[in-house]
Amino acid sequence: MKVIEMPAEGDTAKTKLFCVGILISGVSGSQSALNPAGAEAEQIATLFWWMAGGATVIWGIMIALLIYSLHLNPVAHPRQKSALFIIGGGAIAPTIILTILLIYGLNILPALLARPPAGTLQVEVQGYQWWWRVRYLNQWEEPIELANEIRLPRGEPVDFILSSSDVVHSFWIPSLGGKVDMIPGRTTHLTLHPTKTGRYRGVCAEYCGASHAYMNFTVEVVEKKEFDEWLAQQSTDRKTPQNEAVERGEALFLQTGCSACHTIRGTEADGTIGPELTHFGSRKSLGADMYPNSRDNIENWIAHVSALKPGVKMPEFRALKNDEYQLLSAYLKQLK
Amino acid sequence: MEQKHHHSEEFHERHERIWFMFIPPLVWAIHLLACYLTAAIWCAKYSSSTHSFMTVRVAIGIYTLLALAVIVFFCWSGYRRYRHLSEVLASDDDTPLDRYRFLGLATFLLSALSAVATLFVAAVALFIGNCD
Amino acid sequence: MDSEPANLISEQDRNSAEQRRQSAERLLKAWETPRGWRYWSAVNNSEVGMWYTVASFCFFLFGGVLALLMRIQLAVPGNTFLTADQYNQIFTMHGSVMMFLFAVPIFEAFSIMVLPEMLGARDLPFPRLSAYGFYSFVIGGIFVCGSLFFDAAPKGGWFMYPPLTSSFQDDIGADIWLLGLTFIEIASIAAAIELIVGVLKCRPPGMRINLIPLYCWYILVVAGMILFAFPPLIAGDILLEMERAFDWPFFDPQRGGDPLLWQHLFWIFGHPEVYIVFLPSVALMAMMVPTFAKTPMVGYSWVVLSAVGTGFLSFGLWVHHMFTTGLPGISIGIFSAASQAVAIPTGVQLFCFLATLTAGNVKRSVCLHFIFAGMATFIIGGLTGVMVAVAPFDFQAHDTFFIVGHLHYVLIGGTIFPIMAGFYYFFPLVKGKQLSERIGRIVFWLVLIGFNITFFPMHITGLLGMPRRVFTYPANMGFDTLNLISSLGSMLLAAGFLLFLYDVVRPRTKQPLSERNPWQAGTLEWLAQMPDLPWGVRTIPIIESRYPLWEQPNFMRDVDEGRFYLADAAEGKRETIVSSVIDAEPMQCLRVGGPTFLTFFAALFTGGFFIFATYHWWLAASLSGLIALGVILTWVWTGTAEIPEKEIKDVGLGLSLPLYVSGPNAVGWWAMFITMTADITAFVSLVFGYFFYWTIHEDFPPQPLQGPGVFWPVTGLVLLLIAYGLTLLSRYWNRSGYVRAFYLSLSLAAVVSLTGTLALLAGPWLTELDPTTHVYPAIIWVLTGWTALHVILGVIMQLYCLARRAAGKMTDRWDADIMNVSLYWHFLALTVVMTVGVIAGFPSVS
Repeated sequence: MKVIEMPAEGDTAKTKLFCVGILISGVSGSQSALNPAGAEAEQIATLFWWMAGGATVIWGIMIALLIYSLHLNPVAHPRQKSALFIIGGGAIAPTIILTILLIYGLNILPALLARPPAGTLQVEVQGYQWWWRVRYLNQWEEPIELANEIRLPRGEPVDFILSSSDVVHSFWIPSLGGKVDMIPGRTTHLTLHPTKTGRYRGVCAEYCGASHAYMNFTVEVVEKKEFDEWLAQQSTDRKTPQNEAVERGEALFLQTGCSACHTIRGTEADGTIGPELTHFGSRKSLGADMYPNSRDNIENWIAHVSALKPGVKMPEFRALKNDEYQLLSAYLKQLK
Repeated sequence: MEQKHHHSEEFHERHERIWFMFIPPLVWAIHLLACYLTAAIWCAKYSSSTHSFMTVRVAIGIYTLLALAVIVFFCWSGYRRYRHLSEVLASDDDTPLDRYRFLGLATFLLSALSAVATLFVAAVALFIGNCD
Repeated sequence: MDSEPANLISEQDRNSAEQRRQSAERLLKAWETPRGWRYWSAVNNSEVGMWYTVASFCFFLFGGVLALLMRIQLAVPGNTFLTADQYNQIFTMHGSVMMFLFAVPIFEAFSIMVLPEMLGARDLPFPRLSAYGFYSFVIGGIFVCGSLFFDAAPKGGWFMYPPLTSSFQDDIGADIWLLGLTFIEIASIAAAIELIVGVLKCRPPGMRINLIPLYCWYILVVAGMILFAFPPLIAGDILLEMERAFDWPFFDPQRGGDPLLWQHLFWIFGHPEVYIVFLPSVALMAMMVPTFAKTPMVGYSWVVLSAVGTGFLSFGLWVHHMFTTGLPGISIGIFSAASQAVAIPTGVQLFCFLATLTAGNVKRSVCLHFIFAGMATFIIGGLTGVMVAVAPFDFQAHDTFFIVGHLHYVLIGGTIFPIMAGFYYFFPLVKGKQLSERIGRIVFWLVLIGFNITFFPMHITGLLGMPRRVFTYPANMGFDTLNLISSLGSMLLAAGFLLFLYDVVRPRTKQPLSERNPWQAGTLEWLAQMPDLPWGVRTIPIIESRYPLWEQPNFMRDVDEGRFYLADAAEGKRETIVSSVIDAEPMQCLRVGGPTFLTFFAALFTGGFFIFATYHWWLAASLSGLIALGVILTWVWTGTAEIPEKEIKDVGLGLSLPLYVSGPNAVGWWAMFITMTADITAFVSLVFGYFFYWTIHEDFPPQPLQGPGVFWPVTGLVLLLIAYGLTLLSRYWNRSGYVRAFYLSLSLAAVVSLTGTLALLAGPWLTELDPTTHVYPAIIWVLTGWTALHVILGVIMQLYCLARRAAGKMTDRWDADIMNVSLYWHFLALTVVMTVGVIAGFPSVS
């Protein structure tokens, strides 16, 4: 089930500090909020480290006081003095600390929620049980539709327009920033500013039914130029089949009914119930980031999808012959 | 403390209004709801119009002044009751005066907490100036 | 009550020892616990409270086993120990069981058991209501938990967010959750009523409001919170079940509904719930800390401040569970600020304990160990709580394992550790014997270490990006080691609880009885003999200080010798003293109900109503509901407002008190008032729903307006107000002795009420509002239906009063029934006015 490997980088030193240096080593970091790769995540991570430090100090003081009063306290202190203790430690000190924290928190809140300027790259993401429909909106007349994979240009803001067609989901890329829920009947927004290139993992954070654990996606932050090229390539139709095997694969795809739910632009397949597959072969993973995108996994998926992903809407295609699975997987894999 | 004070008519139970001590936190609750509902309804219904968000901020400011006025009144009257007829701070004896002063202190403390909580909520309007 | 105790004693000294022995015998006879199979008809607080505690502790163990199953599943990545479906049922049940079947009930159970002892009262004012609540709790709890063994358990999470639970789960699980737990919530509210009236009205003479034990302050606050927190959830349950059963689209965005309404209603309940669970444990600590510090609590008023303050502030935090739903920043900020403010009273609370410990000479014991563990871990939970209250951090932490870690630090640290301390502390009071200090120390280390190993790593797991409520996770994401550590820790924690369980249940026939007041505490519950006797307290004492056992000389001897009030039960009835709210001046000698099976059958058939409704067996459900109504009416008819054989009774020390009180001084009137406060809170939550839809829709009510029009609702309003007036008039005529006028006006009121209901229902009916088409007709029908049902209940009460008067059980002098019914009608009139104002008035003005 190894999906994505990422070189460990960033805040491992701090992470180790946080957990006394023994608990984590060799964290991949691709899904970590403590390994920020976006402006929002960085701000929040800084906020976290400050708060964690402050909390540790306060906890230490409280424990010292508790141990003193339970174990070391030599004589009973006068009650009047103890009462002053309540006023100072219980009322005044927390009020001051909380006021500072409140101001700090409120100060960074507006920027995190601010709507991006006009002309920002807009990506519409719709949550489904248990996958993501992704549409790139700007510049093109027709939105470019993909599924379960998002690429973003480094250093540019992106405006996610989030919605859901069935139950409540929550769109979260921990390394880039906070999460926002996808609520049926509503549209929500999330602005992110990726700052580091790399591959990250996004997840659904709101419990959404049987396969909630299997509702993930891949995020790749690349340089602007590479992004533009990629997007231009993704906007094209599928390549016309170059050899007989591919042609037979495509025919099989259309005959077995896959096209009722899936779209492959350039063919008759125009179903919209399931994920769009025009450039499926270029994706890194399969099944909303469940498995690496390999031919074996594709074959397995087509034959045993219900067992692999509980509650999934896609039916299993058990009745195919062995070579037909191979044809289909080869066809899908070459849809780059 | 003179014995007669303990039993004088002034401190009889029937003059006591125990729910007075709940008014300051109730004012806090009303203030919170008023701020929230004003902001939520404004952002749901009018944010797209040309009206300025300043209206919401001013409204929150007015609510806060009103709320604080009531809370400070109770704070002061609670404190006065607490220090009534005595320099001693305790109020744990079995006399109506002790009960009278205890409820005064409770009102005073709850008012102080309500005032801080109200100011916390009001501070939000200083930092956030739109419906994003 | 400021008479000198010395005088009392000399007066009482005339009683011979023989007389004392006889009076004690009569008293014991009156309070005797039934034997054999009739034991289960007992209603005495010590029996019911103990059953209740044991039952909720069993549910705790069940919830704990579910937690272990989850930890086994998550121990390694890609585990197949549980299927997704099983895991989802189990995590839903774990949360629901721990919250609804353990945390809230155990506090109510324990309070039912010890509150009368702390107040030097014989029993709570409505012992049969406690028994009814207990049986409802057990029946509902077994029903909900049992579903897990038939693979039919709810699997929508304990928060049950629609539309997942409304349109995407066709099985019966969600209905079991909604109806089963609503049933239990009603039992919780019943206990809350009992406890509020208990604290306010059943205190011993002299226990002024500045002297009541701190535990009682907390109970008062928590029970009050239940009254305002549970009704919104009940309202939400009604809406969600109506959508599931009848397709009324409250949460379906296609037809104007909105899933967020549920989230608001759920968290208006859900956040105070956390404090409802936490504050009683602080209350336990507030009893134990002064005992072990051997000094009165420092800053009594400050503790009261923090209890009341936390109670209030906790209602202003609910939106912090919804920070990521795309709300405007201003709303987020407001609730973020309020969430931080609530930390202030909590800080005060902790420092009061610290101050008391430093002001005293601490005597160590296992209790204190657990209190230390509780505070040390709760502080971590509190600090992470402040962290997630800062909205930007919550954007990351929300719905991750960080929150799982945080909430368990709060709930295990803040709630369960103090409860364990409470077990060690109060066990002698229940069993007459102590738990083992030696085993206790091992339990302490196992539990403390196991707990931290389990839950501390979860903070990191969450920050590394692991969301909550996932049944599995991939390898090599950094989650593997941390999850394994958590799972291993949970085994250690479980071992600790197992050892604790052994200590609690092991046979202790050889163990000697504990000495009386083993901890040398200062509060009234430690007057109990070892083992305790069923009368609660030998005689109801006069209180002059916060710690009478410490500060009132010869106190225990005077109580034992029956030198205070109600030392006898001359008429063989169960009696206790009702006193005034502020200064606890004695006001009434209250006779409370004795053993009966009626409460059991009432609970059984009430349960039948909810359980049959789950399966949509409407006929069986209605039948069961009608039988339940019949049993409850029988119970009320035979067991309440009984006309006493004499007006007043000598309760001792030259004090005579009335045996029968009606109106605002009666405990029954208070119970009705409190019940109706909760009831109208649920109704206001439904009205909130109406205006919530108004805020989210451009046109609400949708144009052109379909219904219900103005004519019929206003006709209904006028008729129902006439019925209200007639009810009040009949109360007056009853008291004035105009019997015929009474019969006439009350019968007329019943007829006019029913006509008014029909008129009210005619509004949406004649304008053909179809509740399945859009949320507007649906919410109109819910508001109208709610009001109609309440009027029908009101009519039943009117008929009840007519029957009571006809049977001679209610007269011009003994008129508690009609007093309480007219109180019900005050609230009903308010409900009617609000309903008509909303359904007919609002469309005209908007």
